[in-house]
Amino acid sequence: MAVHDTESGGNGFEPKILVFACNWCSYAGADLAGVSRLQMPANCRVIRVMCSARVRPEFVITALSKGLDGVLVLGCHPGDCHYSEGNYFTRRRGLLLQKLLQYVGIEPERFQVRWISASEGAKFAETIGQVTDQIKALGPNRSQNGMQPAEPGDS
Amino acid sequence: MPKTRVGVFICHCGNNIGGVVRVPDVVEYARTLPNVVHAEDNLYTCSEEGLSSIKDKVEQQGLNRVVVASCTPRTHEPLFRGACEEAGLNRYLFEFVNIREHCSWVHMHDPVMATEKAKELVRMGVAKACHLEPQEDFESDVFPAALVIGGGVAGMTAALCLANQGIQVYLVEREQELGGLIRGVQTLFPTEQNTEELLHPLIEQVKNHPQITVYAGTVVEKTSGFIGDFDVAVRANGEASNLKVGTIIVATGAEELKPGGLYRYSELPNVVTQLEFEERFKAGADLPRSVAIINCVGARIPQRTYCGRFCCTTAIKNAIWLKEQDPETSVYVLHRDVMAYGVAIEEFYRRAMELGVRFVRYDVESPPQILGDARAEAIKVQHQLMGKEVVLPADLVVLTTPLVARDDNEELSRMLKVPLGSEGFFLEAHLKLRPIEFSTDGVYVCGAARYPCNIPESVSQAYAAAAKASIPIREGMVRVEAITAVCDERRCSACGNCVEVCPFGAVELQEGRFGKAAHVNPAQCKGCGCCVASCPSGAMQQRGFNDRQLLSMIGALAEETTSGGA
Amino acid sequence: MQDKLREIVRKMLSDGDIEYFVGYCQGSEAHRIVPCFVTEESEVEKLVWGPLCLQNLSKYVLRTRDLDGKVGVLVKGCDARALVELIKQHQLERDDFVVVGVACEGQVDPRKLERELGVPLEQVGGIEDGGDEFLVHVGEETRKVAKEAVLRDKCFFCKHPPSFDCDYTVGEPEPFTIESDRSEFAGVEELEELPLEERRAFWRKQFERCIRCNACREVCYACYCTECLFDRNVPRWLDRPPLLEENEIYHLIRAVHLAGRCIDCGECERVCPVGIPLSRLYKKVQKDIAELFDYQAGMELETVPPLVNFDLDDQDPFL
Repeated sequence: MAVHDTESGGNGFEPKILVFACNWCSYAGADLAGVSRLQMPANCRVIRVMCSARVRPEFVITALSKGLDGVLVLGCHPGDCHYSEGNYFTRRRGLLLQKLLQYVGIEPERFQVRWISASEGAKFAETIGQVTDQIKALGPNRSQNGMQPAEPGDS
Repeated sequence: MPKTRVGVFICHCGNNIGGVVRVPDVVEYARTLPNVVHAEDNLYTCSEEGLSSIKDKVEQQGLNRVVVASCTPRTHEPLFRGACEEAGLNRYLFEFVNIREHCSWVHMHDPVMATEKAKELVRMGVAKACHLEPQEDFESDVFPAALVIGGGVAGMTAALCLANQGIQVYLVEREQELGGLIRGVQTLFPTEQNTEELLHPLIEQVKNHPQITVYAGTVVEKTSGFIGDFDVAVRANGEASNLKVGTIIVATGAEELKPGGLYRYSELPNVVTQLEFEERFKAGADLPRSVAIINCVGARIPQRTYCGRFCCTTAIKNAIWLKEQDPETSVYVLHRDVMAYGVAIEEFYRRAMELGVRFVRYDVESPPQILGDARAEAIKVQHQLMGKEVVLPADLVVLTTPLVARDDNEELSRMLKVPLGSEGFFLEAHLKLRPIEFSTDGVYVCGAARYPCNIPESVSQAYAAAAKASIPIREGMVRVEAITAVCDERRCSACGNCVEVCPFGAVELQEGRFGKAAHVNPAQCKGCGCCVASCPSGAMQQRGFNDRQLLSMIGALAEETTSGGA
Repeated sequence: MQDKLREIVRKMLSDGDIEYFVGYCQGSEAHRIVPCFVTEESEVEKLVWGPLCLQNLSKYVLRTRDLDGKVGVLVKGCDARALVELIKQHQLERDDFVVVGVACEGQVDPRKLERELGVPLEQVGGIEDGGDEFLVHVGEETRKVAKEAVLRDKCFFCKHPPSFDCDYTVGEPEPFTIESDRSEFAGVEELEELPLEERRAFWRKQFERCIRCNACREVCYACYCTECLFDRNVPRWLDRPPLLEENEIYHLIRAVHLAGRCIDCGECERVCPVGIPLSRLYKKVQKDIAELFDYQAGMELETVPPLVNFDLDDQDPFL
């Protein structure tokens, strides 16, 4: 069992969060957090992509529908994309997808986009901590077919 | 198809990983994963011993995929890829899993969770590795010639730098004469030499250099292609030519702002710009008895917020010149701040004051007013220091205006697929780290085309641009990492999304074997993957980061979620 | 109007301007109108026009793209939006087909009609436009039904692409207007105002009913991919069984693929055999795109679709 605190009220729920990080900025920022030994919760799993613009909305939808508790897309700050414009598309796709997911009843915290530069190791650590706490408080993602939570009123 | 045989190498990294993550557990877990036929741990996988082990196991066990779980790919990926290649395995059949920076170093107080996470990361890495395909780096030839657009100081300096290395240079200049902006300037600061003394030798060198072909009175009409293989159509007096080059330098400079509507410039005959002053008075016209120079005309205002950088210096230069012609001339410089940076220019400023040039500070909110009917006779200004309005005599008013971007920048920027900044000047790839290049490979920029700069700055930038532009030519080829996008023509419906989004213009719709389909030029593709994400059918994919690979990672992560928590 | 239409088509065929014409003709039952292809002058009599001409025929123009000979097509103003988009998306060239635009005074939603009449649709002999009402032939009678009661939802907010030129017109096509206090996005707003849990329950119920017949995909003009993402085995995005988790992926991905392309023709909802209110999903995306990026699909040839475009000043809640 995990040693650290669980905020979701003692049932020991540990969310599983998928993180996409772009090679030039956010993945480097994550590395810097590591080099700086900034400690953070161990719930996130990073998939490296060259640019946040590689992340297609279908990945996010699939990940959430298959039961992952959250998806976080990290990219360079707008204006600083290594490929000039990639993250502007990430931004638009992210905006639209967030609203759509929320509309079909998926909590907004489960899909987030953040801009983290290569020098922002601290921001990476902070983001991971924050997002993990938010999603932990929400409980397991009930998108997944197999998971039938015991709560009433979920007809 | 041969069965996939994955080898997994988990690194202790001394104590860095092994001190937190239970590496033996991860190794044992790796052995249970589909397609894994070998798993081991190493103290330092990047050591000679570790690398040998990888090579040995590839040979002995017939491994056709290698996964290393250790530090960050941003350090040792090339090293491990090299080891694979030495063992006879294609370098792109290697996958790196980060269990140090992203795991052991950041979960030091939670070895249990860290070990679970390491296992999952390895599971994801193995899943991706199973779908990796052998790739070859793409090599593209570079045509051994360069194009310099613009025959001013920057352009000529760059051309000479390249030519002196033995590289064929085409120098295209719009005007009939070489020399650019400073042809209109008579004397230079701070040396006070005649421009001719600098310009003439430079022009002669350029004209006489065997490696430089000058196209004067010529404009660039059309460009196409990519680094190593640009096709440029130029036109001179109705005659068209085609040039083929490997790299291009933009040195088109800028122009002096003509401040219509300010300070009665268009209205009065004795209100002129600095360049007009140079032309009229330094050629021998009668000198006025009193001169007022107004700085920051059309600069540092809401419509144009930037500072022209060296126009203060120009004003000081001409103020000094006036005093040297006749110390009795009254010379006032009305300014909002004096930009006299560096040692030489600061001394120049002091000299002007010593010669009796008066510097009067005004506020942007209360600009000077020109008095006079048919001619300017005096200037009324709110003297900031004195705190009152003064009237200064002015037989001549000289307006110091900044350089502004040329009108034809927009057309050139579209032709070359390079961006302009908010003020219309060319925008470099990165302000600090890549000041002479564009995101578009093979095109470089120097001089006032980027932002107003003086001669020493133009010359330094020209050296830099020439150095950069010479590299691909001297290497003879450019190598592109095999992470470019590729379109499956059979599945492509030519919707055009990829063409729209590509930041580098690397995708085009072309007629192919299966009708119209998207085609990626690997020499221009930078591997961002934006096009892949915008392709509804998944016809467009990215080598090394295709949908199948990334989906398998998502699936690998999600698959054991149903068994609950950690 | 029918006569005028037939005259135009007859002439085009006899002059050799077109090889095929895609229009509407009578289906197997009186209340069913179906698309049809006319290649001979003798077949022109089959062509009909009326308030039950529901299909978006642009889809068929796409299918004829590789045939020899030019195609002509009958379009309502709403359908023309699909043509605009298809041209934008490089699927059609304007010069490759002939457009006959027809003036439409609103279309009938067959499900609403059945409810309103209280009799099965099989008893409907035919429908004509009667100004503020539809004249519905039921048995021997002709009943007058107020348009507002049976109009297709989209007809309350009729939009035509403003500068799309038809080669011929039947009547004077103009956006249809009707007095009503409905708002275009009422269906969406109603859901937006529910608490998240109720929204979740609502959509879960809808997605569970999906049998993955793919009718919505087949009828959609924008679904022209040579091989649909969902049909691929390598990689496999979806498994075959219509489980909730798979259905959710299907519908959400489709909504994203259609973002900026859905022209609100309503066909997907009409053809869904289990009656999933798809318009409430797609109009949500339309609403967001209109608010966020000030864009509507199918209206202008010059505008760039929002998801392959960006603005430096785009909203940024991710800072």
